[in-house]
Amino acid sequence: MNRREFLKLAGITGIGLSIPFEISPVPAGGAVSSETKLAVATGSSPSEITKAAINAFGGIRKFISRDDIVVVKPNMAWDRLPEQAANTNPEVVAAIVRLCYEAGAKKVKVFDRTVNDARRCYAQSGIAEAVRSAGAAVSYMDDRKFKDMKIGGEAIREWPLYQEIIEADKVINVPIAKHHGLAKITMSMKNWMGVMGGDRSRIHQKLDRSLVDLSLVIKPTITVLDAVRILTANGPQGGSLADVRKLNTVIVGTDQVAVDAYGATLFGMKGSDLGYVRIAAEAGLGTMDLSKVNIIKIDV
Amino acid sequence: MQTVRRISQGIFLLLFLFLFVQTQSKGADELGYPVKIFLDFDPLIFVTTLLSSHSVQKAFYFSLVIIIATLALGRVFCGWACPLGTLNNMAGAIRKRRPAVISISWNRVKYYMLIFLVASSLFTLQLAGIIDPISLLIRSFAISICPLFEYSVRGLFDAIYAFHPAAADRISEPVYSVLKQGVLSFQQPSFNQSAFIGVLFLVIIGLNLVQKRFWCRNLCPLGALLGVLSKYSLLKRSVSEGCNECGACASVCQGNANPDKKEGWKNAECLYCWNCDDICPQNAVSFGFGGGVRGVGIDLGRRRIVASALGGIITVPLIRVSPLASSVSLSPELIRPPGSLEEGKFLRRCVKCGECMKVCITNGLQPAFLESGLEGLWSPVLVPIIGYCEFRCTLCGQVCPTGAIQRLSLEDKIRVKIGLAMIDKGRCLPYAHSTPCIVCEEVCPTPRKAIWFEEAVVKDRGGREHILKQPRVDLDLCIGCGICEAKCPVKSRPAIYVTNIGESRPGGKQLLLS
Repeated sequence: MNRREFLKLAGITGIGLSIPFEISPVPAGGAVSSETKLAVATGSSPSEITKAAINAFGGIRKFISRDDIVVVKPNMAWDRLPEQAANTNPEVVAAIVRLCYEAGAKKVKVFDRTVNDARRCYAQSGIAEAVRSAGAAVSYMDDRKFKDMKIGGEAIREWPLYQEIIEADKVINVPIAKHHGLAKITMSMKNWMGVMGGDRSRIHQKLDRSLVDLSLVIKPTITVLDAVRILTANGPQGGSLADVRKLNTVIVGTDQVAVDAYGATLFGMKGSDLGYVRIAAEAGLGTMDLSKVNIIKIDV
Repeated sequence: MQTVRRISQGIFLLLFLFLFVQTQSKGADELGYPVKIFLDFDPLIFVTTLLSSHSVQKAFYFSLVIIIATLALGRVFCGWACPLGTLNNMAGAIRKRRPAVISISWNRVKYYMLIFLVASSLFTLQLAGIIDPISLLIRSFAISICPLFEYSVRGLFDAIYAFHPAAADRISEPVYSVLKQGVLSFQQPSFNQSAFIGVLFLVIIGLNLVQKRFWCRNLCPLGALLGVLSKYSLLKRSVSEGCNECGACASVCQGNANPDKKEGWKNAECLYCWNCDDICPQNAVSFGFGGGVRGVGIDLGRRRIVASALGGIITVPLIRVSPLASSVSLSPELIRPPGSLEEGKFLRRCVKCGECMKVCITNGLQPAFLESGLEGLWSPVLVPIIGYCEFRCTLCGQVCPTGAIQRLSLEDKIRVKIGLAMIDKGRCLPYAHSTPCIVCEEVCPTPRKAIWFEEAVVKDRGGREHILKQPRVDLDLCIGCGICEAKCPVKSRPAIYVTNIGESRPGGKQLLLS
């Protein structure tokens, strides 16, 4: 794929993804659509609340079509157990995989570029096993599939990105909400680091701006923020159960800025406290003002 | 009988290769079948470790099986099971022309080597692993042959993929993915001294062209040990009256056993390969229990025995009177894997088999050169810039055959300090260059982070003030895993790095007061 094709594809996907079911104008120049909606489901079963929150948007069929190739992108970057809340909850990820297949998806792929050893991350997070039994194709990153791509952002002009996510028909972002020393909290926008190739540690020099640059080119069909357990300190990998809080919550939205802005409130912050949320809102990527977001709360 | 023997050799070689490939993480905490099983059955390692460290892992009692088998059946291990012996056999088959029977008496060399090794181990120096065939084979495969093989395979498939990805997807990629799952390592392994260790191995294999099974006949100290035991074996060779001394058996003998000499048959040199029985045109050769020829002993010469033993003994101080070998001047880069014994005890046990390096999940464990003196050659040392010590991984302790690296529970492992990280403020981005970074803090794996940060107000070149997070290391919490060094964006010489100061094993260099 050359640069022009990529831009075309990214553009089409971006437009396609940002208006999944309602005809609403693409937000531009900080203009905020009052249609922005979030579903916040709470309950004891991670898979049930995931389904309930997606149903609030009219069900998975609003997003996934027959024969789609779907990438479900959890955060499984760390060699940690599910209860340590460093990786996305495996039940949430598996529930999404099942829903995609119910909607007729041809193939659901799950992968992440891990920080710790990939074999341990995939196994210890519980995600590989959970999604495999749901029928997903789980693969380790293949170095040959990172291709240099034009990002054209302020901080990142060009970067190798994972082709499988660029070439997918639909992308579902499934991050977990947790503490991070530099970004304060990491959620959906930070999750795109998992499809970056090369030496990604360099983006920490301009982290907030870099995350926005990435989010401008990788746009998910839908974002499912896992807050079944959140990590409140010593993130992003934690390790101590004392830092974990169980919220039994899942947040679903199509606007990743709104999702992250809502996620901030779980930690007693506002969206505007997070640099990348602020910059993203300014860049017109979405809305961080929750008073303008239609938040549907569901108790399962 | 030749076919039966070859099947047996094939089975053991495949078993060895299977276990070798299995000596790799699959992501779980426990490893299924490490290749150490072969070493557990190795009597030479058993005897020398027992002598050098006065203690031995329970698993080594498996080697009694080989000792008993040898007492009953002679050197069947050499002829029928040893994977290095089988490889020598295979290499020897390349040379079709029968070599003239070399009448050199090099076959005694292996006994001198054995005496040398036993003598030095009696005085606590463990050198057996360097030339023990099983240890040598695992090390050569792990450090050199397997990486070489994988590099070629990966290169081939990557080339096809780069040339025509679509065709590759249909044809070569399915094969590649099967290989990746079943044969290849997770990542391309690479090791220091790989070429050196590989060349030594290839020389051993190449010597088969000089004389078939050159190594087994002349050099192998395990073969020598089994040869000594073989003298008492119950299974004996006998030659009936029908022998017309045609000499056919001498040309196929895999050892230097003088099969054509009837009464002069050298029991200790016989690999029990049965070739002489197979080839005998008169059908005069047979193996059986009881009766048969007692076989002639090995005449090593008293002076040479004494010289070999003295050589082994003198080597102990010779190798150890080096400043590198004393604990204060150990190289700062000598970061031992977690669970390693105190350096002296470690060296008495480590047989340099390379299993820990093979299994190391990040490829960080590398064969040492002189970091711990000559005695520590090829012992494992962590090189964080190549690979860090994975926080929740305990595999090196699981595969270590001798207990040089103790098997640790996960709870213990995450508390063991193998060194400490320190920051080079002259290179660190937030300190020296007013640039945000803090990657070391992000990746620091201790539940309460050993790397924390201070917020500092710094000025850039234009005089503008910035608030920056500057990393600090909590020496109480740091375990020296080295992930900070491995992930530091200052790649050429990381701005945070680990040395062995503060390691928690006894006799290590202590730093903190409490």
